[in-house]
Amino acid sequence: MSFFAPFCIPFLAGVVVMFVLLLGKWGTWFWHLPAADKQLILRGIPTKYTWRAVKEIVNESLLHRRIFRVNPVLGYMHMSLAFGWFLLIVTGWIETMAHMGVRWVPLQGHVFFRYFSTGLEHKPVFDFVMDLLLLFVLSGVALAWGKRFASRRMGMRRTTKHVLGDRIALSVLWFIFPMRLLAESTTCALYGGGSFLTGGLGDWLADHVGTLALMNLEGVAWWGYSSCLGIFFIALPFSRYMHILTEIPLIFLRHYQLRSGEKEKSFDHFQVEACSRCGICIDPCQLQSVLKINNVQSVYFLRDRRYDRLQLDVADNCLMCGRCAERCPVNIDLNTLRLNSRDTLRNVPDERRYDYFRGIDRSSGNGKVGYFAGCMTLLTPRTMSSMASIFEAAGEEVWWADREGGVCCGRPLKLAGETDSARRMMRYNTELFYKHGITTLVTSCPICLRVFREDYALEGIEILHHSEYILRLLQVGRLKLQSNTRRYTYHDPCELGRGSGIYDQPRAVIEAIGELLEPAHTREDALCCGSSVANTAIDDVGQTAIARSVAKELDATGAETIVTACPLCKKALSRGTQTTIYDLSEIVAGAIVGNHSTTQKK
Amino acid sequence: MKRAIIIGGGIAGMQTALQLKSQGIESLIVERESELGGKLRDWHVLFPSFTPAADVLSEMRHKIHATGIEILFSAQVADFSATEVRLADGRTLGCDAVVVATGFSLFDAKIKEEYGYGIYDNVFTSADVERMLNEGRVTKADGTTPKRIAFLHCVGSRDEKVCQSHCSKVCCITGVKQAMEMKRLFPDADVFNFYMDIRMFGPGYEELYREAQLKHNIHFVRGRISEAGPTIDGRLQIKAEDTLTGRPLRMSIDMLVLLVGMRANDDNTRFAATTGLQQAPSGFLAPRDLFLSNVKSPVAGIFYAGAVSAPKSIGEVINDGSAAASAVAEYLNA
Repeated sequence: MSFFAPFCIPFLAGVVVMFVLLLGKWGTWFWHLPAADKQLILRGIPTKYTWRAVKEIVNESLLHRRIFRVNPVLGYMHMSLAFGWFLLIVTGWIETMAHMGVRWVPLQGHVFFRYFSTGLEHKPVFDFVMDLLLLFVLSGVALAWGKRFASRRMGMRRTTKHVLGDRIALSVLWFIFPMRLLAESTTCALYGGGSFLTGGLGDWLADHVGTLALMNLEGVAWWGYSSCLGIFFIALPFSRYMHILTEIPLIFLRHYQLRSGEKEKSFDHFQVEACSRCGICIDPCQLQSVLKINNVQSVYFLRDRRYDRLQLDVADNCLMCGRCAERCPVNIDLNTLRLNSRDTLRNVPDERRYDYFRGIDRSSGNGKVGYFAGCMTLLTPRTMSSMASIFEAAGEEVWWADREGGVCCGRPLKLAGETDSARRMMRYNTELFYKHGITTLVTSCPICLRVFREDYALEGIEILHHSEYILRLLQVGRLKLQSNTRRYTYHDPCELGRGSGIYDQPRAVIEAIGELLEPAHTREDALCCGSSVANTAIDDVGQTAIARSVAKELDATGAETIVTACPLCKKALSRGTQTTIYDLSEIVAGAIVGNHSTTQKK
Repeated sequence: MKRAIIIGGGIAGMQTALQLKSQGIESLIVERESELGGKLRDWHVLFPSFTPAADVLSEMRHKIHATGIEILFSAQVADFSATEVRLADGRTLGCDAVVVATGFSLFDAKIKEEYGYGIYDNVFTSADVERMLNEGRVTKADGTTPKRIAFLHCVGSRDEKVCQSHCSKVCCITGVKQAMEMKRLFPDADVFNFYMDIRMFGPGYEELYREAQLKHNIHFVRGRISEAGPTIDGRLQIKAEDTLTGRPLRMSIDMLVLLVGMRANDDNTRFAATTGLQQAPSGFLAPRDLFLSNVKSPVAGIFYAGAVSAPKSIGEVINDGSAAASAVAEYLNA
């Protein structure tokens, strides 16, 4: 039997074009991977990571478990489309084999089997399963329509605004499965077969439509179905649907430990094009919810970057709070990609600009424990004097890296994209730390903490946030605190929580002093104070508006005292409320047994 | 007999009451403290003439007592309309017009934590300096004499970071005045003024600014101080940028004086919400217009006098009081 009809041409053309484009793209990206990345892949293939990647692909590319966790309705929609379609293909394959035995059948023979199999004996079990799967997929299509027209009911306040290629692919995708239903039903109407769905609709058509009209309709429907598939496949590499296939190599590469960095590199393509533009990143963005800025969210950033039209004002306008990355169903490293875009767009190292700090050393004191205040703590000196009381109470000898002023940790410059200048600062500070022989480095600034941990290579020096350090002093009994009956609430700084995974230590310290009340958004879901150094685009008015919205939630807890563990958050939130904002160190210093010198007098 | 209620017994409220009286209109001053005078009570001498604040104040108080104007002391206003003022203790006072003369609040210098007010001993505000001058004892916290004094302009003014974008107008000349007073007290001390712009808008101000530089050798550095910190020998170290030479600068000093700005009262928001008054973006109460009705509120029968509507100098506030009184008289006699 022949497996060809003219209507197959659009489908076949689509498949060929798609695979050529796809292999061209992936091939180029792989080709341009740095040698180190290629080695990681080669070394990773024969390991357990390959199996883990396969498992993740089943979980995410087919079942979409992460989306389920964010939003069950969206999860079902994605699963029915992806997993349903996948099962249709696999079951279709098995069905063909059941009919034809193990022999080669051309691709279109599998896809349009119902059309070609009219002369064969019916197998009701397959008819039923295939109808059930088609219904499963169609339910997803119905939800997709619903999401477009009533996104709020699907639990999304906003949905993505798409580019033209997306709109074409999207429209065609909506019609693929309804067209398949129509095509298979007309064939069933004419030749019998099918189960409750295609068979039922076929019977109804047979009863209501004349045979000649049905024959014409059958031709049109199969042409329509094939054309929809063909157009979709051709549009796929140019549209967001590229994510369907790109997520697969991305998952493998991620398991082989490939990562994006502060400079753009070939691996980034896999991340950028794995974005499905689902728009889940829009709702958590405070620039959207508070300031009504609608064109800078990760989905739009990645879109602009992918189509090579990224502007600095979009790349810059992000708090890098990580709330979107926390929810991204594809786990794209959104902040790092934005960071290296900024590097590409802005990094013009000025060799002489930072010459002034060569050789300066304003540090003081002697001790194996170093304390690095950072620029923001120098602007919130209560934190520093509180740390001094804590060190004194614990009997710790301290080397003060920058109490008299010092060089910035480098992270603000790095976040601005000036990565090369940032590296100069990092080199300076690294030399300073080693010169003074410290073994522990304590900082009260999560911004500094993160760059020390992620970008500095400080072998032999343990890096601690002051919340971790204080908790350790409490645990070993070097610091004794007087507990009270006050109620505290705690604001998670982005760089400390989502950025460094430190949620429990500051809470444990607060609970050693009083009662802790959690605000509505907390821990991984905590809000950003709005004054992030990562955003150089919004002005003070915008920053203050965000601070007010955050402070309102903190005030709503009913706590008397708002505590945070970041000097920048402290300054930012102070602008949003009349309530005084305390750094963790201030309430600790105020509660030290026998100490009445620092915060008590306020 | 028609009666106006004046909320606030500072300079603005007193002048309004006196002018109303001279036009034959009864008024009642509602004052939250137990005496008249408002913020002027804490001031030492007034720019640019170095006239003692007490002279101005005592003459006005004397006139008020002589004319027998009724005053309600220690009374907090909860809310009001053009015909009724309700006090926090529940009392209700009827009237035919209201003059809001509640003035301003001083910016809380603790908010600019980087300057160390309330943290380091020798950081003062301009209000602290006036108080010390009144007490006749200007010294460092340990009682010794300062050798180097820095004034910082625009603390809580023209500063978006603390949501105070407006200019407080009088701090520039106050900085010049206090610097000269310091120089008179401590002729050997170096006195510096760190400023963004020097705005010498009033009569005699520019001359005073020149005199400060030429006769008293007071240094003016264009640039804001970024932070202050303690030094090991108990002094203060400030960091700034001299923006005229484009170079960063560090200096050890004995005293840092923060010229704190004038901020809108927190009450303004409540008054605006309950009474239908309008707030300017700065938070001060906005008059109906800035020219022909600049002491009238948008609500008929409610008037403004003094710094409740914008930062003003003492002279301007006194003019404002007279203007408000004549607007009230026109309204009540209509």
